[in-house]
Amino acid sequence: MSSVILKTVGRIIVPFMQVFGIYVVLFGHISPGGGFAGGTILGASFIMTKLAYGNDYCKKKFKFQKLLTIATISILFYGIIKGYSFITGGSHIDSPSLPLGHPGNILSGAYIVPLNIAVGIIVTITIYFFYSFFDEGEV
Amino acid sequence: MGINSFPLLMILISYILGFLGILFYKNNISRAISTITSIILVILSGFLLKYTISNGEFIYNAGHYTAPWGIELLIGNTEAVFAFLFSIIFFIVNWYSFDSLKKEIEYKRIKIYYFLTNILIGSLLGVIFTNDIFNSYVFIEIGTLASCGIIVIKNKRDNFLATLKYLVLSSLGSGLFLMGIAFLFSITGNLNMSAIHREVMNNHNTYTQVILVSTALFTIGLGIKSALFPVHTWLPDGHSSAPTTSSALLSGLVIKAFFYLYVKIIYRTLGVELLEVQYIFKVLLVLGSLGMIMGSILAITQSELKRTIAYSTIAQMGYVFFGMGLGNKIGLVFAYYHIIAHALAKSILFLSAGAIVNENGNKYINRVNGIGKRLPIELFAFTLASLSMVGIPMLPGFVSKWNLASEAAKTNSYFLVAIVLISGLLNAFYYFPIVVRAFFMDSEKEKSDTKPLFNINRALPIILLSIGLVYVGINSEKIINIFLSGF
Amino acid sequence: MGNIMNNYVETGAIILFGIGFGIMLINNNLIRKIIGMNIMDTSIFLFFIAKGYMPNKEAPLILDEYKGVDAYINPIPTSLMLTGIVVAISMTAFLLALTLKIYQEYGTIELDEIIKLKGESHGHK
Repeated sequence: MSSVILKTVGRIIVPFMQVFGIYVVLFGHISPGGGFAGGTILGASFIMTKLAYGNDYCKKKFKFQKLLTIATISILFYGIIKGYSFITGGSHIDSPSLPLGHPGNILSGAYIVPLNIAVGIIVTITIYFFYSFFDEGEV
Repeated sequence: MGINSFPLLMILISYILGFLGILFYKNNISRAISTITSIILVILSGFLLKYTISNGEFIYNAGHYTAPWGIELLIGNTEAVFAFLFSIIFFIVNWYSFDSLKKEIEYKRIKIYYFLTNILIGSLLGVIFTNDIFNSYVFIEIGTLASCGIIVIKNKRDNFLATLKYLVLSSLGSGLFLMGIAFLFSITGNLNMSAIHREVMNNHNTYTQVILVSTALFTIGLGIKSALFPVHTWLPDGHSSAPTTSSALLSGLVIKAFFYLYVKIIYRTLGVELLEVQYIFKVLLVLGSLGMIMGSILAITQSELKRTIAYSTIAQMGYVFFGMGLGNKIGLVFAYYHIIAHALAKSILFLSAGAIVNENGNKYINRVNGIGKRLPIELFAFTLASLSMVGIPMLPGFVSKWNLASEAAKTNSYFLVAIVLISGLLNAFYYFPIVVRAFFMDSEKEKSDTKPLFNINRALPIILLSIGLVYVGINSEKIINIFLSGF
Repeated sequence: MGNIMNNYVETGAIILFGIGFGIMLINNNLIRKIIGMNIMDTSIFLFFIAKGYMPNKEAPLILDEYKGVDAYINPIPTSLMLTGIVVAISMTAFLLALTLKIYQEYGTIELDEIIKLKGESHGHK
C-alpha cells in the first residue's frame, strides 16, 4: 500500500469525498441518500486517508477512544431523540415537538436532519473501525 | 405517560443505558449501570404484569403513526409474564456475575460483557412485545449478534469455533426467516401481524402453496434459533464454552424468546385454522419427541459437566415443541409453563455448574467427587433443579410433564405418553450421578480443603432462583390461569 | 411455465437463494461460507425489491409537485431492505472477524482441518 499514485491521488480526492458524503447526509430527506449512505461515503474517505497518509498519522489523528466516545454520544443522542418522539407519539402527550416542515427546506424536516447526522457519524466511525480491524488485526 | 408505554420504555432503557456504560468505559460503572437497568426492568415489568392481569391485553403504537404505517407493540398476559420472568432472571444472573466474571474473562472485557447483555435483554423484550414481523426480524438479528458476543468474549480457541458455528447456522436461519417474511409480504402487502392475519384469512384459498412454503421457512428458520431437534447442532458447543453467566442467559432466555416469536407467527400471524398450518403440528410433535429422547441420550454420553446441561436444554426444548405440537391451547399453555420451569431450573444448573467448574478448575464430570462438602448451597440448588427436571411432585417440572402426558393421553396415543415418561426417566440418568458423586463420594484431594466455602454474591442469587423455582411449582394453577385468561 | 417467465426476477432471486444456501452448507472454507451467506442475503433483497417495483413508475421523491399515488413505486420494500443491508453488513463483519481470529489460532480456515486439530488437542483426556 505504498504506491505513489495512491498517495498523490488519495490526498487530492479525500476532501471531495468528504464534501460529497456530508452533502448526502444532509440531503437525505429530499433526495436519495441519508445517514447510512452518506456515512458509508464518509467512512470510505477515512479509509482513503489511512491509505494515503499512512497508519501512524491516522493513529495520531483518529484515536480509538475518541472515535468510540463520539459514536456512543451519537447513538445516545439518536436513542433519546427518537425515544422521546416514540413515547410522546404513542402516549398522546402534547409536549413540544419539532414542526413537520415542507420539502426543499433542510432545517424544517422535524427530527430527520439531526437523526441523519447522528446515523452518519455512527456509520462513518463503524466503517472506519471495520477497515482498521481487518487491516491491522486490532482497532 | 401511563403504564401502557412501559414496554417501549423497557426496550429503550436497556439500549440507552447499555450505551451509557460504553461511554464511561469503566468496569465498575458498567456493572452498576447494568444492575440499575435490570432493577428498573424488574419494577416496570412487575407493574406491567399487574396491569395486564386486571385490564387484559392492549396495543401500543410506537410513534405518531397508527398500525399499518407505524410499529405496534401488543402486550397480553403471556408477554407480560415472560417479560417479568426475563427481567428477574436477568437481574439475578447479573448479580451472580459480580464475582464469577473476574475469574472467567479478561479484565478489560468485563465492561463489554455488561454492554452486550443490556443489548441482549433489550432485543429479547423487543422480540416478545412487537407485533410487527419485520421489526421482530431486526430484534432477532441484534439478539443473535449480542449472544454471539457474550460467547466469544471469553477469547479462547473453543469459543471462536463455537461462535462461528452458531453465527453461520443462525444466519442461515435468519435468511430463511426473512424469505418467509418476503413470501408473506408478497401475498398480503402488510408487515403488521394482525393485518397479515386478516389478509391471510380473506384469501388463503388462492395462495395455499405460498402459505405452506412460508410456514415451512418460519419453522426451520426459527427452529434453528430455538434449538429444534435436528438443527440444534450449534447449541452444545456454544452454551458449554461460554462464560457461566452467558450460558445461563443463553440457555434460560434467548432460545425461549425465539420460540415465543414462533408461536406468535403460527397462532397470531398465519392462524391455526388453516389446513396448511395444521400440518406443521404433526412435524413439531415428531421432532419434539425425537428431541426429548435424543437430547437426553446425548446428554448421558457426555463427559463434561456444562455440555451435559447444554444437551439437556435440547431435551427440554423438545418438551416445549411437543406441547405446541399437540395443537390445542392446553398443550400450548403447558409449553409456556414449561418455559418458565426450564428457564429457572436451567439458570440454577448453569450457575451452580459454573461454581463447581471454577472451584475445581476442571470441567469434567468425573472430577466433581466430594464437591458437595465444599459448595453445599450450590449443590443443594443443583439437586433441587435436577429434581425439577426429572419431574418430582411439587416442583414445576412435574406439573408441566404430568399435564403434557395427560394431554397426550387424550389424543389416545399412548406412544406419546410413553415418550414423555421415558424422557423424564432418562433425565434422572444423567443428573443423579452428578449429585451422588458430589455428595457421597470422597474427593481425591486431601481432607484439609473440605471446609464449606461461602460467597455471598454466588450463594444468594442461587438461593433466590431456588425460591422462585419452588414458588412457581406451588403456585402452578395461578400461573396457568393467567396464561389461560390471556387467550 | 408462464408464471415463471412473467416473474423472472423472483425466479432468479430464488435460484440465487438456493445457490447461496448450497455454498454456505457444502463448502468447508470459511471465506466461501461467508460469500455464500452474502449471496443468500442479496437474493432476498432482490426478491423484496422486485415486489416493490412497478413498471413505468418513478422513485417516490416529491421535488416539485405531487403526481398522485399512481405515479410512484412502492417504497416500503426498498426501505426495509436498507435495514436488511445493515444487518447483513454487521453479520459479515462479525463473521470475518471470527475467521481472522480462527486463522490466528488454528493456522487454517478449512473447517474440516480445524475440527481435526481440535480433536487432536482433546485427545489426551
